[in-house]
Amino acid sequence: MDRKSHLIDFIKNEIMHNSRANLDPDTDLLGAGILDSIGILQLVAFIEKMFKISVPDEDVVYDNFMSINTLVDYLRQY
Amino acid sequence: MIRRLLFLNGIAILGVVLFHSSGMGFVAMFAWASRYLPPGASIMDQVGSLSYYGLRMVEQIAIVSIPAFLFVSGNFVAVSAGRDATMLSRKLIYSRIQNLLIPYFLWSVVVIALNMITGSKFSEISVLIMLLTGGANEIFYFVPLLVQFYLLSPLLIRIARANPLGLLIVCGVIQTFLQLLPYHVLFDTQLVFVGAVYKLIPKWLFISRIFWFPLGMVAGLHSPAIKQTLVRLRNWAIAAAIILVPLGILEWETLFRRSGEIWLAHRETVTDNLYSLAVLISLLALRRIPANITEPFESLGAKSYGIFLTHGIFIEYTAKVIYHAAPALLGYQIALQPVFVFIGLAGPLAIITLIDHSVLRKAYSYLYG
Repeated sequence: MDRKSHLIDFIKNEIMHNSRANLDPDTDLLGAGILDSIGILQLVAFIEKMFKISVPDEDVVYDNFMSINTLVDYLRQY
Repeated sequence: MIRRLLFLNGIAILGVVLFHSSGMGFVAMFAWASRYLPPGASIMDQVGSLSYYGLRMVEQIAIVSIPAFLFVSGNFVAVSAGRDATMLSRKLIYSRIQNLLIPYFLWSVVVIALNMITGSKFSEISVLIMLLTGGANEIFYFVPLLVQFYLLSPLLIRIARANPLGLLIVCGVIQTFLQLLPYHVLFDTQLVFVGAVYKLIPKWLFISRIFWFPLGMVAGLHSPAIKQTLVRLRNWAIAAAIILVPLGILEWETLFRRSGEIWLAHRETVTDNLYSLAVLISLLALRRIPANITEPFESLGAKSYGIFLTHGIFIEYTAKVIYHAAPALLGYQIALQPVFVFIGLAGPLAIITLIDHSVLRKAYSYLYG
């Protein structure tokens, strides 16, 4: 499974609690209320554990976490 | 630091459960003492007992929970504002508020309904006031409080970016001033109105806890500089946190005994604020914490809102069952507290897990955010 699929899977199951949810990779995760204060922390923890990446605090910003596609683009540097 | 926030959230929700278990312990100690004390025994003799100070110690240690939650939420707003943006999207704010309010209203109605089933009567106006101010039970005030901060966050984020230190100083001064108002009782004045002061500045009003949310915001916006400061202050913060626990107990007991009130439900004091700040710095600045310690708390932290909304129901009704079925247990806090804490955590977690693995899974966000 590629990173995008892992991220979509995680967000659907652990954040949205709905594995059948329709999650467009360009959906604004924060604006749509999918990621809240806890959700974003869970997502960072998942990324660090699953992809063995240490995400700098200053990179945990809307610009990088806006959507699945934005996040995948950000993670390409690792 | 970001990764540490989920751990902090887990610590905070455990603190909330401990705090409310202690609160129920005080109910058992005083309001329900007639169920187990011999006739003629003085209820107020229990003030100053070992059990009394045990419960106060737990409350004192756990007082950091609400500041921690507010700090994490403020940090989230900083994340949501983006790297260069000074504007927060209204859509984001409203969706966040909606996600908070739907479960809050739902569980408030459950609590009110349970109270009505067990004999309480409420007018429509009082129900409306309860829903607006978190009055369905003593802990729900946090939700209207947090909603106010989200509504203020577009303004706060601009100030936090332009003048973070100024913002924190002003908020710190306002919060400290309001918390110093009851201290006149220490100076033997005739102005004995501590209870009235607390009524004028209700817990759900943002100004009563104005420091913590902006602090989280500033920490999120200026993370590299903040991290360096945290590391420098770490050892001092740990020492301060340890020293401030007994000092906080002493401070509150002095205020209580000089207030002239028969009972004073705990409110944060200046010492409590210093303690909370010391704990936040300590936890955020600690070097690597082993995963086998952080992961259980992170798991709790992920479910913190659901636990927050429902643990009070479990603790209260467990206490009521004990009141009727085994009243002698009410006199033994050493046995009572573990029961309350266990039920206060296990009950909500069991229901959350059940719902997450059932056909009701789609309703999860409406129930638990």
